[in-house]
Amino acid sequence: MNGDADEHDTPAEVDATVRTLRRVAVGYFVVFLVAIGGVPGLTLVLDWWSQGRLIGGMSPSFVMAAFGLYVFFFVIGLAAATLSTAVESRMLGGPDEDPTEAAEHQ
Amino acid sequence: MNTASLVVLVSLLIIVGGLALAIRPRGVSTLDFYLAGQRVGVATNASAICGDYFSAASFLGVAAAVYVSGLDGVWYATGFAAGFVPVLLFVATPLRRFGEFSIPDFLGRRLASDRVRLVAVGVVQLIILSYLVPQAVGSGITWQLLVGQGVGGLSPYVTGVIISTAAITGLVAFGGMRGTTWTQAVQFLLLLAALVWLAIAVLGSGFDYGTAVADLAAEPLVNPVNVDGQWELATTPNRLEAESPASFGEPGARYGGLGQFALIITLVMGTAGLPHVMNRYFTSPTGTAARMTTVWVLGLAGLFYALAVMLGTAARALIPTAVDEHPWLTELTVDGVLRVPEHALPVLGRIYGGEAGLGLVATGALIAVMSTIAGLLLASAASWGHDVYERHINPQATQRQAVWAGRAAVVVVSFASAGLALGLRPESLTALLPSIVATMVTWAFALAGSALTPVFILAIWWRRTTAAGAVAGMVVGALAAVAMFVAGAVIGDRGLGEMLMTPTIVAAPLAAAVTVLVSRRTQVPADLELLWLKMHGTAADRHAMRLARLTIAGVDRQRKDRGTGDARR
Repeated sequence: MNGDADEHDTPAEVDATVRTLRRVAVGYFVVFLVAIGGVPGLTLVLDWWSQGRLIGGMSPSFVMAAFGLYVFFFVIGLAAATLSTAVESRMLGGPDEDPTEAAEHQ
Repeated sequence: MNTASLVVLVSLLIIVGGLALAIRPRGVSTLDFYLAGQRVGVATNASAICGDYFSAASFLGVAAAVYVSGLDGVWYATGFAAGFVPVLLFVATPLRRFGEFSIPDFLGRRLASDRVRLVAVGVVQLIILSYLVPQAVGSGITWQLLVGQGVGGLSPYVTGVIISTAAITGLVAFGGMRGTTWTQAVQFLLLLAALVWLAIAVLGSGFDYGTAVADLAAEPLVNPVNVDGQWELATTPNRLEAESPASFGEPGARYGGLGQFALIITLVMGTAGLPHVMNRYFTSPTGTAARMTTVWVLGLAGLFYALAVMLGTAARALIPTAVDEHPWLTELTVDGVLRVPEHALPVLGRIYGGEAGLGLVATGALIAVMSTIAGLLLASAASWGHDVYERHINPQATQRQAVWAGRAAVVVVSFASAGLALGLRPESLTALLPSIVATMVTWAFALAGSALTPVFILAIWWRRTTAAGAVAGMVVGALAAVAMFVAGAVIGDRGLGEMLMTPTIVAAPLAAAVTVLVSRRTQVPADLELLWLKMHGTAADRHAMRLARLTIAGVDRQRKDRGTGDARR
């Protein structure tokens, strides 16, 4: 599937977009690593994390591993996807007017 | 297994098989056979990816790991689900925009090198075989446990391996990616339905998750051990605090401090290098659709693993109290604790749904195995049929010849894996490894995360990546991972051995460093600018969207015209 003559990107636009998207991806990845390293990591340094009681009889560590991290993965994924798509639509291709809507306006 | 459970199992398998035959590709194009015409929608593809990804290790293995190790078993679920975050951030969208048929094809084109393609084929086949053999073993074990009878004088294990391999080989060879996509999507929905039904049944019986965890954590964790032919319960030692026993609600039952991190990193990094999962992204219509597909996968995976963890806990809490009411549990348990932790979900199914419930969970287990085998066979077919046959053996091949080469590859690879699974004889290995299925699947993740993922991410995001750098990175990553496995097997799975058995935490940075060092000393492809535009530009996506909008507008206009004509008449 290749873009035709009226749909193209310039190398400069793509380079700038790649740099922005790379920053977005690395930023979210660092947050992700802190979370998945932090949940087991806190059990080694903080007794309350694995012995305290948060929901019912579950420790904060169990709550995060059993539910919290999955919600976090979905939220961080949705946020990163939304931001990346917004960056691409703003930085590549310019205003993308629907030809059918344009025809209806005329 | 009685008639009721057998009827449930056979009915569900017939539905899945019928669906694959009904929607098999009618043409003979390789685009249709390998990529389902690149028209798979977000929800369908997300379900198919889940069907592809959730193998026996996810369905029976996660609940079993939680059952036997408590919180330390939950790290498997965390790692399996987390793997799709790096896929979303670094891989899905550019991979789809660049196109091609497989990971080796992608790397070969991106780095303009046949050598890269062939080395990648070797690594991919190694990963596929590491993943395929335990699935075949899993199908044999499932048949052995749940049907318990062989056919034609064969043992139940051999019968299970042969029947499931033959059935799924037929479905894939004739269904191609289009048929496999829909069967995997339906298979995932059946798998999820089995878990949801079990969760509703357990919660409906008054099970209180929080209280159960608290009660289980209040006592030392005990598990059955076989001493001189006699089963008895033994306290599980704590690997974090040697002076106290392990607890269900706290870490330490399975891993020490380093082991938890090494396992999670191995599973997280491995997902982005799994060929059968990554190949599914080529079937998305656009890069943006591939990105949103991954968001759906993250949601579905979270639901699936949260339920599996809860059911593993429920099995631990409820089975001891059910032994009196269900005498058949006596031979499966030691003082109310299951001898084989993989029995956790099937036993819960039988307690709450009788024989039909057992049949539903058994079908879920076989479906999990079969859908993963299907994805692996297709990835292998794409690799042999397209990357080797079409590119190197017969570049003038017609579409028909190329598709038949893919089908032949499916048959050869499936029988090779079945042969290896039969040769392994899991009963002789259970004494050496706690779970051969889970261990071998983790090896596949480690190999993928060490050899492919670092090179893959660098090739996508670092312009300076070269063919020589990629080859060096893949070879060093694969060799480091294998060498560390061997060292880990010799040392044992305690202390440093925990990290050696899940080596990605060391092997992946090593592979990345070698790729960067070698790339800095060699030349990038001549047409890098065009390759970069294709991989990161959105022109093709916008073109596809414009065509889709025009098509929809045309259909709407036709409907409107037809409506006006009818009104005039």
